[in-house]
Amino acid sequence: MSTHETEVLIVGGGILGAATARELSKYKVDTTLVEKETDWGWGSTKANIGLVCQGGDCLEFRKEYHRSKLVWDSIPMMEPLCQELEVSFKRVGMLGVFMDDEQKSKFGKMKSRAEQVGITSHQWIDRDTLFDMEPYLSKKALGALYDPVPAIIDPVKLNIALAENAKQNGVHTMLGTKVIDISRGVEGFEVRTNNGPIKTSFIVNAAGVYVDKVARMVNADNFVVYPIKGYLGILDKRVGGLVRHNIWRVAPGPGEMNIVEPTVDGNIIFGIQLMQAKRDDLSTTREMAAVALKRVQDMVPAISGKDVIKFFVGFMMMRNFELGWHDCVVEASPTVPQFINVTIGYPGLSACPATAKEIVKLLADQELNLVEKADFNPKRREITDFSQLSDGEKRKLIAQDAKYGHVVCRCETVTEGEIVEAIKRGATTVDGIKYRTRAGTGRCQSGFCRSRVISILARELGISDQEVTMAGGKSQELLYRDKELLEGGESICSKKLM
Amino acid sequence: MQQEVDVAIIGSGPAGLAAAIKAKEAGAENVVVFERAEHLGGLLDQCVHNGFGLLYFGEDLTGPQYRDRFIEKAMDLKVNAGLESMVLELSTDHTMKVASSKEGYSSLKPKAVVLAMGCRERTRFAINIHGTRPTGIYTAGQAQRFVNVDGFIPGKRIVILGSGDIGMIMARRLTLEGAKVEAVVEALPYVGGLIRNEVQCVHDFDIPLLLKHTISKVHGFPRIEAVTVSEVDENLDPMPGTEQKIECDALLLSVGLIPENELSLMAGVELDPVVGGPVVDEARQTSIPGIFAGGNVVHVHDLVDNVTWESEIAGESAAAFAKGEKLPSRKIEMKPGRNIRYIVPHTISGEDDVTLYMRVKEPERTVRIRIGDVMTGKVKLAVKPSSMEKLEIPASEFKKVKEGTREIVVDCVAKEGR
Repeated sequence: MSTHETEVLIVGGGILGAATARELSKYKVDTTLVEKETDWGWGSTKANIGLVCQGGDCLEFRKEYHRSKLVWDSIPMMEPLCQELEVSFKRVGMLGVFMDDEQKSKFGKMKSRAEQVGITSHQWIDRDTLFDMEPYLSKKALGALYDPVPAIIDPVKLNIALAENAKQNGVHTMLGTKVIDISRGVEGFEVRTNNGPIKTSFIVNAAGVYVDKVARMVNADNFVVYPIKGYLGILDKRVGGLVRHNIWRVAPGPGEMNIVEPTVDGNIIFGIQLMQAKRDDLSTTREMAAVALKRVQDMVPAISGKDVIKFFVGFMMMRNFELGWHDCVVEASPTVPQFINVTIGYPGLSACPATAKEIVKLLADQELNLVEKADFNPKRREITDFSQLSDGEKRKLIAQDAKYGHVVCRCETVTEGEIVEAIKRGATTVDGIKYRTRAGTGRCQSGFCRSRVISILARELGISDQEVTMAGGKSQELLYRDKELLEGGESICSKKLM
Repeated sequence: MQQEVDVAIIGSGPAGLAAAIKAKEAGAENVVVFERAEHLGGLLDQCVHNGFGLLYFGEDLTGPQYRDRFIEKAMDLKVNAGLESMVLELSTDHTMKVASSKEGYSSLKPKAVVLAMGCRERTRFAINIHGTRPTGIYTAGQAQRFVNVDGFIPGKRIVILGSGDIGMIMARRLTLEGAKVEAVVEALPYVGGLIRNEVQCVHDFDIPLLLKHTISKVHGFPRIEAVTVSEVDENLDPMPGTEQKIECDALLLSVGLIPENELSLMAGVELDPVVGGPVVDEARQTSIPGIFAGGNVVHVHDLVDNVTWESEIAGESAAAFAKGEKLPSRKIEMKPGRNIRYIVPHTISGEDDVTLYMRVKEPERTVRIRIGDVMTGKVKLAVKPSSMEKLEIPASEFKKVKEGTREIVVDCVAKEGR
């Protein structure tokens, strides 16, 4: 395979890698973004509750922490960024709920720390006001610390938007490209991937859960990170009205910090943090799911296990876990020149816009020549969301293209037209369609639409149904043809094919 | 925009087709059926097995054969069919918004509506199946579509969780296709589907049936590689120390069906919290005047024949409503008593013959289903939750009931006790 040459290689197409690629695309820099999965944001980014906060909710937050500064710098950037990229951003506000005095005093300390650094938006809410704001909250709640600033977004949607906009502005993107090895030569780095070698002068290591492993390939791992696991559950939209704000609390016991909030699409997402765990283990257990459910029911008793449509886990990489949940890694490697390591841990999503700018600054410090492009286009159009259109718009759209009249995912009202748009934007798998359009994310969990999504993917990509995968690699959905498993079945099948 | 619609029916499965035909026969002029899929007939196209129509036609038909009889009749009667047409909204005043690849986007306000959306399958996390999240885990109905409509087999070593009818039918279907069904795993001490399916689809093919077991863990990624099966305790939780690992490349779930009532809720229709379907009277009218319901959207049936009969009532009543005719009163409430989970219809007038459909909560032997204090009831050798009980009560029976009775309790009691 021929060698791909680039000036800056970003390893990892999660939200930080994509944000960095987009930031770099403002300059005349030859940039390449590689991602080992077949689509953007399938690592830590997809298993994220989508909260854009001020960092003040993190009880350990300190002004001396690098990540705190990155979060605060990001606060004014996030909403305009979402507007430019047509990613929905809903300012729901955040309620730190307490059920006893000890919990209240923790919030009090947090409030004063926030005020010390100039975040003055936190205010105490009395019990009556709290129940006006959240009528389904447990009657055990005594009050809350309210911050009106935090918002919710769909992190994978923002991730995809950033990658698409970077690509529009000239970044070379390579999905399904796994970095196997990196060596430092005289003229820069030689990177071995499953898709052929890449030569590059600079590397931004945004490999997320694998950030330390990628750094170690070239002995640039002067840091230690720990994977922290969170358990998350999604509820049916039918009960979407039970929670209006981001609600969180800290109470002793397993899953000490727990959180529940609406999603931009009208579901409810809940979760518990955090336990240290093996980073490759994405499986859920009945026991931990029960803990997560019990925890959320302590806050909102009307939530029922029957309304859970999905449980999943996510990881983030925290530095120096043993010393207390500490800081991020956003720094040039002190041992290997022109190699930048990046991982935020928590709250990575909230910190992402300023972190991307900081990475570009670090690259400039390492003598990357930055010349602004005159023709940078900050805007990117989101694919159609049929369910959100007005009657008139729906009528017009179907009249233009009948595919928008064919509802494929009935739970989320996703049309064939939207699925075709997603494929044209780069979705190649069932999950790729899911993250771009919501098809299959509803209460029936693709029972109705999966077969149809597979057929549309096959048709649009010009492949057979059997080649369609859930998420790339060896995740084919349909292993055999009818009769293929019978004696002499293969010949029956080949006849059918002819 | 469109001509006036007398009866609009949402769904063209067995329920929708029966309702459409009856509505026409009862004199409704313009009857429209909306079907979101590409063909009429709902899920009958993937039910290629037999056993349909034994009661209704006295014949043993396949799903598509059963469907075709109704489609032909509906077409003869000039029922209007909208394919790839999905009703997106339904209001209390009957206003419907429909998206269709063929007809575009439209809004209509039919005189009467029949809900015939059927049901959907319960999914993995609703029943707490944990482990990895690979591909290769499908609901039984989803796999049935892959095999019988699309022409693909999801795997060659299959485990089936749940012993609902579709799961057992798929056990046989996949065995006949050359796949090996490693086990049918059921948490309850008895099978969830019909006895005839247990015998003909599981035992006759020597498929291991593991009662009182569940799947405690799913293994493999990105494709399922195995499941851990455990015995369950009385709370249906897996018991530590009983684990066995079964290798497989597909897991099918046949763990229950849920009436599909999102549109009903949108229109403000009252649902029975036990069943999840609309509360209906003997005419199958819901709590919203002019909105009727029939088939699995009301409660999940074992036999398509009963879906047809019940939906015929809904179709006929919808036509009567559209013509401004009087419908039966809701004078008497039917109350589930001892070991009765639910009863449909929820109310009766006491003036006409009525068929009561009900399910018990627990299996029992030698029982009497007692209807109030004075009516005849019915003796049964055995009852179980998976078999719907059907009681036909002639109007004459209601004459025994004291004037002014507002509710009748139905109990399942030991045969001796009256």
